[in-house]
Amino acid sequence: MSSHARAHVPAPEAGEEMPSYYEIMETSVRELLVEKKIIGAGEIRQMLEVMDTRTPALGAAIVAKAWVDPEFRERLLANGRAACESLGIDFFEGTELIVLENTDKVHNLIVCTLCSCYPRVILGLPPDWYKLKPYRARAVKEPRAVLAEFGTVIPDDVEIHVSDSTAMVRYLVLPQRPKGTEKFSEEQLAALVTRDAMIGVVRANAPETKEMAR
Amino acid sequence: MTATENPLKRLPTEMGGLDASSLPVQRVEHEYAPWEKRCHALANILDTHKIINTEEKRRGIEALGSELVEKLTYYQRWIVAFANILFEKQILTPGELAIKMDEVAARSSGAMSAASR
Repeated sequence: MSSHARAHVPAPEAGEEMPSYYEIMETSVRELLVEKKIIGAGEIRQMLEVMDTRTPALGAAIVAKAWVDPEFRERLLANGRAACESLGIDFFEGTELIVLENTDKVHNLIVCTLCSCYPRVILGLPPDWYKLKPYRARAVKEPRAVLAEFGTVIPDDVEIHVSDSTAMVRYLVLPQRPKGTEKFSEEQLAALVTRDAMIGVVRANAPETKEMAR
Repeated sequence: MTATENPLKRLPTEMGGLDASSLPVQRVEHEYAPWEKRCHALANILDTHKIINTEEKRRGIEALGSELVEKLTYYQRWIVAFANILFEKQILTPGELAIKMDEVAARSSGAMSAASR
């Protein structure tokens, strides 16, 4: 933040807590980097604005498009990043994206055992449980048990593929299109795709009965 | 296995395949605090400028050692790792950061007392 912008930051409300030691460290590192012209004064603000546009809704729109557009689906599976970039999505992190398609034979699950790598460019920031030990330790060891804790029971004849993300390679699960959605628009389909379905811990939501009747 | 073998064989961040069968996945989430988001944006900017990439950040966190890794929250680990890496790269000095942190703390407490008057 520039000193100009800082002058307009309102004083904290009475009773508001003092910033923590680490929050003070964050402010200090940022201000020193700006003062030394290592980073630009407005860059953090701009990046925050970009980050705010990255939510699971973006991923859901990509999934819905893949469900209705076979040519896009093919491109998405061949090169996730290039297909997303063709929709105008900027990969500011410089990461690659591999899209993993769920089928009747294979269910995919993504994890990052080393840290918290996640397809942030299209899903935003990950949930805390994705970053914590139980999920990271167990997803690669007992994925069926982990899935069951999310209420997802995968039949024994369906293989589970667990993909471990890295700094450079991120994954996105392309869930199976729910039955009874043949007449759905892309928007209606996207509404069935949750963040957790794109991590692979649940399936895409089934349509509500009244929607099916329409 | 001796007590020192365990941390030698595994980095403090390396969780894959550890026996954690007694630990159910608690579906916890929290709203990111503004400073946490800023810390994340800083990470992205440091990466874009090729100052600190994701692997360096992770190694910086591992270098904190398992005790600190366990005690600090997610973004606390990040900012401490960034500071250490920036010292190593001679982009910042510990002295500069200490002075700046005193300044920011004084500014914040000044704003606090102004608000409570």
